[in-house]
Amino acid sequence: MTNATATILTGNLIQIRNLVKVYPTTAGDVKALRDIHFDIEKGEFVAIYGKSGAGKSTLINMITGIDIPTSGEVIVDQVPLHAMDADALSRWRGEHVGIVFQFFQLIPSLTLIENITLPMDFNNTYRGPAQVERALALLDAVGIAEHAFKVPAKVSGGQQQRVAIARALANDPKVIVADEPTGNLDSTTAAGILDVFSGLVRQGKTLIVATHDEEIARRASRVIEISDGSIVSVKKNSVERVEPVA
Amino acid sequence: MRIPARWMKVLKEIWENKTRSILVVLSLAIGVATVGMINTAAIYVKRDLFGAFERGNPASLHMYLSPFDEGVAAAVEKMRDVEATQPRRVKTIKFLTEAGEWEEISLNAFPDYEDIQINIPTLEEGRLSLSVREIAIERQSAEALGLRVGDELTLKNDDDRLFAVRVVGIVHDLYVMPYELLGSATAFLSMDTLAWMGDPSQYNRLDIIVSEMRSDRDHVLSVGEKIETQVLTPARHTTYRTEIPGIGSDPGRHWAEDQINGLLLIFQIMGVMAILLSSGLVVNTISAIIIQQIKQIGIMRAIGAVRRQIVGMYLFNVLIFTILGLLVAIPLGLVGAWWLASFASNFANFDIQSINLPLQVLGLQVILGLMLPLGVAMLPVLSSTSISVYDAIYQYGIGTKGKNGFVDRLLIRVRNLTPPVLFSLRNTFRNKARLTFTLVTLTLSGAMFISVFSTRASLSSQIDEISRYLNFDAAIAVPGGSMRATVEREARRIEGVNVVESWSVDSATIQYADGRESEQLQVIGLPHDAQTIDPLLVEGRWLAMGESLGVVINEDLTGVETAVDVGSEITLKVGQKEQTYVVVGVVSKHLSGARVYMTPTMFGRLTNRYNQADSVRVRLDANVLSAPKEQDLLGAQLETRFENAGISRSDSTTHYAIFGDFTDVFDIVLIILIIMAVLLAVVGGLGLTGTLSINVLERTREIGVLRAVGASNTSVRRVVLTEGVVIGFVSWVLGALLSGPAGLVLAAAIVTAMLKAELSYQYSFPGLLIWLVVIGVIGVLASLGPAQRAASLTVREVLDYE
Repeated sequence: MTNATATILTGNLIQIRNLVKVYPTTAGDVKALRDIHFDIEKGEFVAIYGKSGAGKSTLINMITGIDIPTSGEVIVDQVPLHAMDADALSRWRGEHVGIVFQFFQLIPSLTLIENITLPMDFNNTYRGPAQVERALALLDAVGIAEHAFKVPAKVSGGQQQRVAIARALANDPKVIVADEPTGNLDSTTAAGILDVFSGLVRQGKTLIVATHDEEIARRASRVIEISDGSIVSVKKNSVERVEPVA
Repeated sequence: MRIPARWMKVLKEIWENKTRSILVVLSLAIGVATVGMINTAAIYVKRDLFGAFERGNPASLHMYLSPFDEGVAAAVEKMRDVEATQPRRVKTIKFLTEAGEWEEISLNAFPDYEDIQINIPTLEEGRLSLSVREIAIERQSAEALGLRVGDELTLKNDDDRLFAVRVVGIVHDLYVMPYELLGSATAFLSMDTLAWMGDPSQYNRLDIIVSEMRSDRDHVLSVGEKIETQVLTPARHTTYRTEIPGIGSDPGRHWAEDQINGLLLIFQIMGVMAILLSSGLVVNTISAIIIQQIKQIGIMRAIGAVRRQIVGMYLFNVLIFTILGLLVAIPLGLVGAWWLASFASNFANFDIQSINLPLQVLGLQVILGLMLPLGVAMLPVLSSTSISVYDAIYQYGIGTKGKNGFVDRLLIRVRNLTPPVLFSLRNTFRNKARLTFTLVTLTLSGAMFISVFSTRASLSSQIDEISRYLNFDAAIAVPGGSMRATVEREARRIEGVNVVESWSVDSATIQYADGRESEQLQVIGLPHDAQTIDPLLVEGRWLAMGESLGVVINEDLTGVETAVDVGSEITLKVGQKEQTYVVVGVVSKHLSGARVYMTPTMFGRLTNRYNQADSVRVRLDANVLSAPKEQDLLGAQLETRFENAGISRSDSTTHYAIFGDFTDVFDIVLIILIIMAVLLAVVGGLGLTGTLSINVLERTREIGVLRAVGASNTSVRRVVLTEGVVIGFVSWVLGALLSGPAGLVLAAAIVTAMLKAELSYQYSFPGLLIWLVVIGVIGVLASLGPAQRAASLTVREVLDYE
């Protein structure tokens, strides 16, 4: 993992090169991504914008190493993900990427605080009491420290998504990737989640969000719009660094 | 101490799914406890029965002789081939029970109770220094008859004289068949007491331990022959009978050692099967848990877990199950061992010295109970955790990609059924590996279940075959022999008696051309048209009218004398008289030992006992045997009439009494086997529940679709129930096929262990039908939980599942 821990020397944290993803089906091959090519700089807030089925989640899965490309390259923090095996990818994700899913995907049997210590446990970070201290600090940061010892089913969807964000931050990754993070939330709750994201960008995290929500796209520093697996536009927003909404 | 989150997850899920966890732990415990129970009990039996038996110097040989004194015993003991001798006088008379009935009691007297060398009895209560008019009772006889130290016992000699003796001791004698089995009491008294009762002060049985090759049957018998030719015959003593103690056991071994070891081996095999099946259940359960958590596995891998960590979590889960299983199984096995050994100790009259858990059994339980489930669980754990993160999070629950195997193609062609039934059928055969595993579990349970019934049927059939040779309502021995005509006349005087036959019995040997003699065999003299025997001819023919040289032998004899067959000439020797005969027929084995049947005239010529009867057999009806109560009444009438006529004071026996006792013993063994088969069925049922649960989980979306298109709760339940019943039925068919050979093996093992006889196999069709009902019930019960879960799924939950 020398590549994964290498110091970033350039501004381009993520480099996507000629990325193609084809899913074979009984009805024939489906091209989910077609020759995708772009870079993301450190500290950017990028929205991957498009309609349902456009290929946003597929692209996000390539950046996190959850799925592997049919061809092309995905280099994150100088680490070529397309060349790594599944276990190496897991270890790399645990250390360098935090993922937030649309359906929160918390472990139902664990309390909120245990859900946050889980990635620390898998990655051997923040051992012993430091794990709990960090988890509580993260829960506090997303505003739900008082629910720390409840199980996910006992808190609301918005609170679960805050826990998911806290979990994504558990190992202090450079990159946060979120797939439709507000897709399952009402507008008020969604706004709260976006505030949390804005805070992360201000802390210097690189944030990539797949969304079909124009509001999120508006908040991003750059919007990459895709349709039918191809990039149709790349737009820089005037707000270079978003400010949190009070 | 803080438990890391991943282990906490495992522990919490075990706790949250208590019913599932308890079922797995219990099923594991059943398997491990069974292994513990059988092996621990085996160790107790070996230690406390065979060990104690060995310590009491068991005889290699019993020789029944004409009256002899201690000098003869001393002379035999001086022989190089003889390690030790013990003279004793044995005698069977009657005693008065508390209920006022006369029952048989075997009396034993020794020269010196302080110096018994062979088959040493141990004093349990009172004393063994017996004066005149004192008696010590064997403890099982004493317990069964309610006799205690201080009681007075009335004995009745053959000449009707009564003797009052006082019970002064309770003695444990491992070397006699227990009262529970034989129904005859055993007691000890002094030679002086026997003299007081009118017996000669000489001995009639010599117990011998050979000095070398003590368990070699042929060697022991050859030593017996040497004793006879070198010491007894020159001293003008007659050898009436030479026998190796036991039921076909090797010399110096406990009389039931082979039978007990045989049964223990069978139980052990069943125990191993139970543990294999419960391990299978662990595989099913872990598969169910993993499938339920596939998305969680994906998420954990997405947040940094490597496969090794995920594998570790599920193996930790199995480890917890196995440890809990062991914690339940070890004490349960110990209690079971205590129960089984107690049962054996009551039956075989020995004491369990201590209840402890032998280390080797604990080791075996730990290895089987810990390593086996962990080992087999590796398979689903490794295969399920190899799924890619993407598939785990986004693809699972959508249904396996269609594979068009033979069964699938066949099911596609089935169209005349309702869509829910078709859905069930196609679901059933979708995951072939899981289906195969469930079917194997249930098929084994079924095959075992039916096999136990087949074993029961085979034993019944075997007993029926043996009963052909005891085809009478009642019979009575005529000790010392009486005139045939007198005996038959007395029996015919009993009202309703239609068939009366007198039989003559003597011991003989086969005289070989080289001068050697065979082991002793029985010679029976009986009418050629005897109606109280229905011989099963294996070869040749039965005795004919006017037979002068032809004899019929049984398979017990051909088993020992392999060269003898129909047409062979054999020379029989009784006393000093020899006569050569031609074998005209061979009849099946019937637990009698080696026998030669001949006409009464031939018997008279061979034994010089013309027209004498040693027993009489009677029947009320020439065609059918009477009911047990009528047999009992007839037996009592025989006893009274023969006693009044001064012919015999023996107890009568009835057909029912002989075979009733037989089947009681078999039933105990079969009940244990049935219990084990039921346990296997329970484990199989739990496995089916697990499989159906997994299927419901895997088909969540399809069930949601069914509900979305209007399927009622009942329809959804029916889908799962049909699946359970179909699997049950398929396993029944497979179990039926396997039960044929499996039953043959089990029945052969049991019959060999218990009867030392060859198997007459009988397949149990009632067992097959009973299993069909049982598997139907299991199929329905196993489906109820998963069916309810499927019916309670809402369309919204199904959407969430996406």
